[in-house]
Amino acid sequence: MIGTLERAQSAPRLLIFAQQALIGIALLLMVLHLAVYAVYAVGLITFPFDYDQGEGFELNDTVLLSQFQSPYRDNEVFPFYASNYPPLYHVILVPFAWLFGAEYWYGRLFGFLATLITAAAIGYAVQRATGQRAIAVLSGAAYLASNYIYHIGPLFRQHISMVMFETLAVVVIATLSESKRPRRLILVCLALLLAAGYTKQLAVATVAGVFIWLFLRGVRRSIAWAIPFAAVAGGIFLLINWSTDGQWWLNTITANVNQYILGQYTGLLGQFIALHGALLVLALLMTAYELYFDRLSVYAVWFIAALLNSVLAGKWGAGDSYFATAIAAMCILAGIFAGRTLSGTWRLPRFMIGVGRAMPLIGVASCAAFVLYGAAVVKLPLDMPIFREVGQLLGVQSNTKFPNFYDSAGWTMGYATIGQIPTAQDVANGWRIVEYAKADPRPILSEEAAFSFRSGKPVVSNPTQLLNLYNNNTPEKTLYDPSALIEMIEDQAFSAVILRRDQGQTAIIGFYPPPVLAAIERAYTLREAIPMNGYEYTVLLPNPSWSKPE
Amino acid sequence: MTHSDLVITKRMLGVLILLVGALGFVGVLLLDALRGDFGDFGPTQILALAGCLGLCALGVSLLPLGDRPA
Repeated sequence: MIGTLERAQSAPRLLIFAQQALIGIALLLMVLHLAVYAVYAVGLITFPFDYDQGEGFELNDTVLLSQFQSPYRDNEVFPFYASNYPPLYHVILVPFAWLFGAEYWYGRLFGFLATLITAAAIGYAVQRATGQRAIAVLSGAAYLASNYIYHIGPLFRQHISMVMFETLAVVVIATLSESKRPRRLILVCLALLLAAGYTKQLAVATVAGVFIWLFLRGVRRSIAWAIPFAAVAGGIFLLINWSTDGQWWLNTITANVNQYILGQYTGLLGQFIALHGALLVLALLMTAYELYFDRLSVYAVWFIAALLNSVLAGKWGAGDSYFATAIAAMCILAGIFAGRTLSGTWRLPRFMIGVGRAMPLIGVASCAAFVLYGAAVVKLPLDMPIFREVGQLLGVQSNTKFPNFYDSAGWTMGYATIGQIPTAQDVANGWRIVEYAKADPRPILSEEAAFSFRSGKPVVSNPTQLLNLYNNNTPEKTLYDPSALIEMIEDQAFSAVILRRDQGQTAIIGFYPPPVLAAIERAYTLREAIPMNGYEYTVLLPNPSWSKPE
Repeated sequence: MTHSDLVITKRMLGVLILLVGALGFVGVLLLDALRGDFGDFGPTQILALAGCLGLCALGVSLLPLGDRPA
């Protein structure tokens, strides 16, 4: 039934040359993407303020844990702060907080290194499966080249570390059938999955994918491992929930149930396909091949689980990062497809043996897919040497709200408007905002924690967390009552309120629940709008004409 | 894996996927009926129903592949 194709040594020389030329071009493109990514990472690692909204709150989680305090707190009590993420990423960074205090660089460096480790794991998986070194390098580099990975890699955010743990878990267990120590392999894999899950809740899809694959390979064994795994994962969950008096459940589960915006998901899905389509086709072909002609690998099951999980990108507050796991899986499968094609090691049913004759051509197409992908995911800082010239060569201009940043992704709802490299002016403007925060000993109320850290004040509130809970209030159950925060605002207990809005907007806009924003408008008055990183930071000071009604 | 462990075949996988698709399809319809506005489908529900039908088709396509391990 199944026959192995001969190696593609008999391929016409021209096609072999075409394959090698395309691999060379793809490698050159990947070098360009890697260089842009490295420059971006350095730019962010040295930037002393929030770059992406929410980074500072993850730093605050790290700081709280470093002081042996729980980040899962009562949002209705000063400082009105709670984290909505599991703690592992922040726990890993605790030694850095002890050594260096509240700094952004170590969390961003960790994220950047996590992407490099993930890329290495992807490359290793492809190399192990196909023996094609160049394709393995391309596959790993393709992960780093994605606009989505570029976006979130060097941020002080836990998501990309979750993807690293997921990828390592899957790559470890992929060789289970050939392993002489399967129990040890499963144990390591499950430990990594546990780490992924306690880095971010989204890893649950990878956990499901791995257990489905184990189930396919041996029902009894999968159940035998699922029970202790669920006991350990669930036990930790219950322990944290008990020790935080239920705040863990409220803040990491309830607060993450947000409104679903179908248009956001379909927009992101279209963008994802447009950017990653070339490799997506190879990955889907590989999955279809395994489904119908071979055994399903853990990579294929993981890929499907991750693709299905990307539906959650339509949640309010979610975005392009929700495709990151699918991208990692896609890179492995696309690499294995290309590698197998080049080495002619497909096992096809007899009726498809004729396809073997087309294999050199399919090999060319596979290599071309990496070139197409490399050309599709271009993003360039146009104000930097070399990249500026590359931009001119490609004929691209800024198509983002930043004057010197080109991003082939364009924009759709949910796609983070970041990617530009912060300028010296951004840094200077950040310090100007800090001056406002320092001018008075009272605490500040800020949508970004950096200004609190830099002025030596406590971090007060996690606005999106408060908004999520407030939006989930029902007549039967109040998840967040903003009365205490509103009272402090009306008492002008904060020396300044710092909100962020898009440039050109004039209204007082922020992530706080509407009654909180209304109180800010009543008791505070706009002093200055300072631009930073493509946004305007509105600094509001206590309104002298405000008097709280008795 | 023990030698006596049950390995899922392509056919069994096909049946499982078919069942998941069918249950999902019925589930979406039931949910709509329970909400009291049966038949008034929004775009998300239509997508969900189409997805379930797609799953059913995928499951059916695996049935002829017999006892080969999935």
